[in-house]
Amino acid sequence: MMKGVLLKDFYIAKSNILVTIVSLIVLGFGLSFLLETSALLILAPVASTTAAFISITSDAGSKWNKNVIAMPVSRNQIISEKFIFYILLAAAGLMTALIPCIVLMLAGADITVHSLCLYAAIGMSATLLAGGISLPCAYLFDPEKSQVVFMMSFMASTGIIVGLVLLTNLFIPVKNNILLAFNIVLVISGVCFFISYRIAAAVYQNRDIV
Amino acid sequence: MNNALIISGLTKTYKDFVLDNVSFSVPSGSIVGLIGENGAGKSTTINAVLGLIQKEDGYVSVFGKDGLDNETKEQIGAVFDGSNYPEILSPRKINRIMKNIYGSWDEQAYFRLLKQFSLPLDKQIKQFSKGMKMKLAISVALSHHSKLLILDEATSGLDPVIRDDILDMLLDFVQDEEHSILVSSHITSDLEKIADYIVFIHEGKVVFSKPKDELIEQYGVIKCGAAQFDALDKSDIITYRKMDYEWQILVSERDKMQKKYPKALIVPATIDEIMLLYVKGER
Repeated sequence: MMKGVLLKDFYIAKSNILVTIVSLIVLGFGLSFLLETSALLILAPVASTTAAFISITSDAGSKWNKNVIAMPVSRNQIISEKFIFYILLAAAGLMTALIPCIVLMLAGADITVHSLCLYAAIGMSATLLAGGISLPCAYLFDPEKSQVVFMMSFMASTGIIVGLVLLTNLFIPVKNNILLAFNIVLVISGVCFFISYRIAAAVYQNRDIV
Repeated sequence: MNNALIISGLTKTYKDFVLDNVSFSVPSGSIVGLIGENGAGKSTTINAVLGLIQKEDGYVSVFGKDGLDNETKEQIGAVFDGSNYPEILSPRKINRIMKNIYGSWDEQAYFRLLKQFSLPLDKQIKQFSKGMKMKLAISVALSHHSKLLILDEATSGLDPVIRDDILDMLLDFVQDEEHSILVSSHITSDLEKIADYIVFIHEGKVVFSKPKDELIEQYGVIKCGAAQFDALDKSDIITYRKMDYEWQILVSERDKMQKKYPKALIVPATIDEIMLLYVKGER
């Protein structure tokens, strides 16, 4: 049942894929001049998840939200699908950015496995935290407000990551264990994302859809 | 007679509107028309039946089951005002999506209906007219062997030719006695054509729920002047309305009234007139 809803979201993502790819290429070029190319791994998952919000806006605009509840899909499945879709987009974005990085690394560019893992952990943490904030809000507020929350959530996630790193530093010296520290942040972000999913599912369960 | 849908004591309160203790049923093999002016509570009732809104009180039973699980929803085809599908999709993509949503999705039936409605397979919905979108929504609703169709204002805004096509399709659907339809509309002429029962909702309350034939055959409108109106037994009047040059009085037993008031001009009441007199008339 959920597979059909997921397929619908992939069709929406596919119709916006050009925008995502172009923005990733522009970001990649920009970053290769300013920072390391592997820093693209921070932005790629975040940029890829915009399709999830396009699909949420499209669902509200076309009143698919109403239609799908009349179909053999439970409210819980509707929310689960959106969170799974978000993760799949983030993973696809990460993989897309990883390919050129690995190619460049093999070609002798100054990219290490350590930096790839570090930037991937930061990127995925930011994406999970941003999704954890904005996805439940998309079901709490109207589409215009949730767009604002969506943009704010990326800034908020940066602040949360800094806070988590500082907190980790109280127990483990981050400078010497930077990858470990960001992996801890990644795990915490994953837990937050899961809690956020449970909250969204609970909120949506009793929400009137008109 | 089995009921496909039973609604009993359905209540929902909003800031400025109350759906108050709505009760009626949809017998299997029949078409029930839900009528009422805009904002009367038709869509709220349908939304509560489909589980879109949480009811405060009452119960909804579909095919004898309380509540809506996925198995029950599999047997319901819902059509709202508009297509309610993302505009970038095409009928072919919708087929692939629905194949993965409905266990009983019938691809052949879907393509047959699309062909019957002359809908293009690969055109995006955003290029469809309102009539085409509605035909697409009906094609989806009829392609998963649904036993109960629920249509909320599905024919509003459509031209008479398309409306007629859709009404024919609905009549075909109830040829099978296991199939039933609940259709809300403020185009009462459509319901006069197809409905077996009429449920009239006004200000969130069910005013009546009657067989359509009873309404058409028994209800009448007395058209008279002030003197004749004054002479009427007030207990015979359901509701009345003073127009510029005449009084219009709704009565429920036309033949009996004609015998009681032989000089009165009593004409059969259309559903439109009944609704209008209930809404705008005085009691």
